[in-house]
Amino acid sequence: MEVATEVGSLVLRVYLLRSLWTALYTQNLAPLNLPLHSMITYATVALLMSLILEVDGTRLIREKLREGTIATDLMKPISVPFYFFSDGIGQTGLHAVLVIPSLLFSLLLVRIDVPRPEVIGAFLLSFALGYCVNFFLNFLMNSIAFWTLETFAIQLIVRWVSDLLSGQVIPLTLFPGLLGRLVFALPFAAIYSTPLLIYVGVIAPAQWAGAFAMQIVWLTLFAGLSTLVWRAGSRRVVIQGG
Amino acid sequence: MPIIRTRDLRKVFRSVKRVPGALGALRTLFSRAYEEKVAVDGVTMSLEAGELVGYIGPNGAGKSTTIKMLTGILVPTSGEIEVAGIVPHEARQANARNIGVVFGQRSQLYWDLPLVESFELLRAIYGIPHAQYRRNLDAFVELLQMDEFLRTPVRQLSLGQRMRGDFAAAMLHDPKIIYLDEPTIGLDVVAKEAIREFIARINAERGTTIILTTHDLADVERLCRRIVLIDHGHIVFDGDVERLKNEYGQHRTLVLAFDGAVEHPHLDGAELEASDGVTARFRFNRMQQRADLLIRQASERYSLMDVTLEEPDLESIIRRIYVEGYAQPEEASR
Repeated sequence: MEVATEVGSLVLRVYLLRSLWTALYTQNLAPLNLPLHSMITYATVALLMSLILEVDGTRLIREKLREGTIATDLMKPISVPFYFFSDGIGQTGLHAVLVIPSLLFSLLLVRIDVPRPEVIGAFLLSFALGYCVNFFLNFLMNSIAFWTLETFAIQLIVRWVSDLLSGQVIPLTLFPGLLGRLVFALPFAAIYSTPLLIYVGVIAPAQWAGAFAMQIVWLTLFAGLSTLVWRAGSRRVVIQGG
Repeated sequence: MPIIRTRDLRKVFRSVKRVPGALGALRTLFSRAYEEKVAVDGVTMSLEAGELVGYIGPNGAGKSTTIKMLTGILVPTSGEIEVAGIVPHEARQANARNIGVVFGQRSQLYWDLPLVESFELLRAIYGIPHAQYRRNLDAFVELLQMDEFLRTPVRQLSLGQRMRGDFAAAMLHDPKIIYLDEPTIGLDVVAKEAIREFIARINAERGTTIILTTHDLADVERLCRRIVLIDHGHIVFDGDVERLKNEYGQHRTLVLAFDGAVEHPHLDGAELEASDGVTARFRFNRMQQRADLLIRQASERYSLMDVTLEEPDLESIIRRIYVEGYAQPEEASR
């Protein structure tokens, strides 16, 4: 039942995206370097990626801090951040399985370009890197709970910004001039934009190494920051009540 | 060589001072005023391996804070702490392998999984060898009679069943030390007794060091020889339960049941506590008054149906200490 509704809503969203971009393209709003079929491919793959990326394993941090149950985890011989990461991977795995029927159905509805195997390989690698960047971004957001216990507003803002600037909704190539250069320099681009642009071929094989390097830079930076925040946070853990 | 050792352990919590009222909430945001609360203030104690110690005190006395520092999840403000040769907050994970923790008010079991799956997960987390895991699981299933609900999801267990599961979960990896935080809270008398029996056996048979925090002093009387009493962050008593009773419980109560009505009963050397015409309760200090003489005096004076001598129980002694504070008992105890 859950799978059925999930697939149903996804098919609807794919259909809407196709209609939207087709309408925009007939109004001649097309970005210069992206033909319509690439755009639809981009939007559909972005949607499928979001099914996996929107799983937030680190949400547990906030919940456990609020309820004070983080104490029991800290009393075990485990790295608690790694526990959150594993939990996220597990949930992601489950969602990935759910993506498969959705994928099949959306293939009936829209025609997505299927690139050469090495491009798919590069896409998957880039996606994996983006997944980790996204994990640490979520980790940092939820770690704010160490200080405020209430993180909803901040998360909402970051979510809006990242939806827009990560290339999930519109390709970053659409941003003009200076703004266009700026959005590519932001960490959000490493989450959706880089793998997607590799998929549709805007990032050519010659530029792959540079794109991966950029993702790795953000990943390292976020991971380092997360370590610092976690250390500072767990030192000031004052378990609520009890 | 003590297994647990603390010296001048201190923990001060600092929080932003709140301004009351709706506007106050806003002002609190910009306030730089802090409130300091000393939760643990100079606790020095040491435990030998294999001891079973009752760590008691009123709510907010600093018990849980001490336990959290011993488990390594709270960093002390100052002072020294060592558990099985490890400074807990400096090596939290290494320390975690040596300890087991049971909270009466919080479960470490995985809520949605069958009980036995939680155990399997803990086996993986602690890397318990299969033979050891099997041996411990079998022993605990038998001791705690868990076979009927081993496959039940934890959320469907009764409190008594869940507590038994939590005890097993805390001990699968053969910890050297176990911290029990109100393990019998909310349990019925039969379940309480089963848990106490289990604690006593683990301590006796495996030589596990146990710190027991509880408000149910029957737990302490049944299980502990030694008691550490904490109040306002200070240790006010550390020693034998018997010694505490001797020093603090100097009064006895003589209860007389008369054969026929007696108005205004009186005994020399004892104080009338209550009387309803057919029974009377006299309180006396056993250091100043011999009980046998008091009973002889009573039987000479009145026609008695029954005589009982009541000793103060631990609960009434502790209650007096909470209310009146701990002062060195008067001279008479020397």
